[in-house]
Amino acid sequence: MAEADGVSARSVPPYLREAELIKQGAEARVYRIRFLGKSAIVKERFPKRYRHHVLDEKLTRRRTAQEVRSILRCRKAGIAAPVVYFVDLSTNCIFLEEIADSITVREHIAAAQASGQSVESLHHLAEKMGRVLAKMHDEDVIHGDLTTSNMLLKPERSGDLPLLLIDFGLSFVSALAEDKGVDLYVLEKAFLSTHPNTETLFQKLLQSYTAASKKAPAVIKKLDEVRLRGRKRSMVG
Amino acid sequence: MHLSSGLELFPEFVVTQLLFKDVKNCAELRKMAMEGKIAGALINPSMVLDPFQTLLAANKAVHVQKIGKMKTRSLYSEIIFNLSPTNNISEAFKRFGISDNDNAVLIVLVHNKEEAYNKDDVLSKADGQQIPADQMSTLSDLAKIKKLYKVAPQEEKCGSVLDAVICRMAAKDVV
Amino acid sequence: MTVVIGFEGSANKIGIGIVRDGEVLSNPRRTYITPPGQGFLPRETAKHHRGVILTVLREALDEAGLKPADIDCVAYTKGPGMGAPLVTVALVARTVAQLWGKPLVGVNHCIGHIEMGRLITGANNPTVLYVSGGNTQVIAYSERRYRIFGETIDIAVGNCLDRFARVIKISNDPSPGYNIEQMAKKGKQYIELPYTVKGMDVSFSGILSYIEEMAHKMLSSGQCTAEDLCFSLQETVFSMLVEITERAMAHCGSQEVLIVGGVGCNLRLQEMMGIMCEERGAHLFATDERFCIDNGAMIAQAGWEMFRMGQVTELSDSWITQRYRTDEVEVTWRD
Repeated sequence: MAEADGVSARSVPPYLREAELIKQGAEARVYRIRFLGKSAIVKERFPKRYRHHVLDEKLTRRRTAQEVRSILRCRKAGIAAPVVYFVDLSTNCIFLEEIADSITVREHIAAAQASGQSVESLHHLAEKMGRVLAKMHDEDVIHGDLTTSNMLLKPERSGDLPLLLIDFGLSFVSALAEDKGVDLYVLEKAFLSTHPNTETLFQKLLQSYTAASKKAPAVIKKLDEVRLRGRKRSMVG
Repeated sequence: MHLSSGLELFPEFVVTQLLFKDVKNCAELRKMAMEGKIAGALINPSMVLDPFQTLLAANKAVHVQKIGKMKTRSLYSEIIFNLSPTNNISEAFKRFGISDNDNAVLIVLVHNKEEAYNKDDVLSKADGQQIPADQMSTLSDLAKIKKLYKVAPQEEKCGSVLDAVICRMAAKDVV
Repeated sequence: MTVVIGFEGSANKIGIGIVRDGEVLSNPRRTYITPPGQGFLPRETAKHHRGVILTVLREALDEAGLKPADIDCVAYTKGPGMGAPLVTVALVARTVAQLWGKPLVGVNHCIGHIEMGRLITGANNPTVLYVSGGNTQVIAYSERRYRIFGETIDIAVGNCLDRFARVIKISNDPSPGYNIEQMAKKGKQYIELPYTVKGMDVSFSGILSYIEEMAHKMLSSGQCTAEDLCFSLQETVFSMLVEITERAMAHCGSQEVLIVGGVGCNLRLQEMMGIMCEERGAHLFATDERFCIDNGAMIAQAGWEMFRMGQVTELSDSWITQRYRTDEVEVTWRD
């Protein structure tokens, strides 16, 4: 993160200069900030110097807008995603609700495995994930970057474990089974490489997904195809 | 009684919300606002669930004024416009501004932290009973809000109606 | 000392190179160049290769100052690539291996690029962007495989550039990509073109069909020049490539980038990738046209790695394949 400070100072919006940087990604920086009396998260899409500035501005603006649209679309369908408070299109910053006391699914699974819990104890979570993703795909929202780091768990007093999806930066709208299949394939690869020995967990997720969506058979078929050919055709020439 | 909040993004400003019920002179207030005699946004409180909602509208209004991208003519009309889920300006004024025969009003002032502003001036103009601004929900018409913002039952599974309203306000420019 | 000779001819370049323990002793090559507006087809390409291969073989041995007896192993491109040219070259490699009594090693063309890139640049464990007329992949090594993190979902970037060159009849000599690059330098206006990145993948068929359709209109209306189009196309497709490379780097926590493949010669691509690397504190490795463009030595180098781990190809297994994914190969020579 050290090199990020020198670089970020150049282009950071004034209100973020004092904010706490919590994550630096390839596309965006994530900060914690006080906003209208609440603790909020700011996702800043910073300019990319290697791109032509016209392309950069258009792309960054488009992605910011797309992320906000996807969040709203998901929420309207009852899929949990952080509330959007404010969008600053002049700096491509999205102000979002901070989900207090949340942990990522990645952290949760890692902790469960580290403490020696059986994989079965995580089946409930896997089923939930399957249902949420089915709902999202039924809304024709393709997340584009499904990983266990992009899913949050917010422990509730009732013992229930609401699941939130975050990071819709690469999302797009598509009804194609192929796109949904690839969305799941991305998650499968991320899942299995990050959490070894969890094949049964992912199977549970897919079972739950299939039960929750009428369009699932076509999607799973595409997922199988994508797995077999390792994604896409090799081109010739 | 009233609620004064700072805008972290614009530290030089303060937003003050004053809430009145049993107001008898809404017509007069509305006329005064149109003539520029009240330096504040006069909002129909039945359309507001929580002071946070108004704060967001005010924050956005100050922001667009600063970057020269206001859609309406003044900061105060912009605040009213920002509350609306659509980009239709006249509709926003109609639904979120006050009408002559309303009996409650939420007055939102935006002023410089440094300047001394005359709250009493505003208080004296409204012929009604001031109630604490954080009691805004007592004057909200939930059914009307849900209808106007088109909040469907399934959305309430993942958040409050306020959450749904806020998201629409924020996403208005990009949907 | 291990000396390996490598035969490459999967597309329109036919190259034969000799490598001895990391030293490139010779690397002659010929390119089949078609007239402007035309691409190269398998039959004619194979015919071209057949016509020159023995000459190139002679050059390879002579430049290295070696005789067949000095060779320890014969490596050839097993795939991927165009069928007829691959067969032509494989045939000669097989024949030569039998004549000289040397073991045969079938090499994956993409891995050839990677291994030569690693050798020449000394990159330790880079995220590899492999970009050519036939391939566009972002690759990272993990647990005995060159894993594909991102790739094109339709055509390769080089294919996109080559086909655009045909539309406006840019010369194919020395290569369409090279000529686009020179013209792009004179471009002044940025024209907005479709930009398609989906997660870790890219798609070029959209931008190609767009520009194929619009090019003549834009040029005849005087809206822009051919140079502007070249410039805009490069800026757009290269941005896409840099983006997916960066994403893979962020995913793997990598601090090195290696660009291989013919399109990797492009200095603007290298420049853009360099800026991205600089912003992340990462290091960019690139090679020049001797090794970026398909060549025999890269096959020899990959063959050398495989051979010293005991991987040889039996004659009965020495067929070629048009489809051969980079992650199908077990990378026994790295840990």
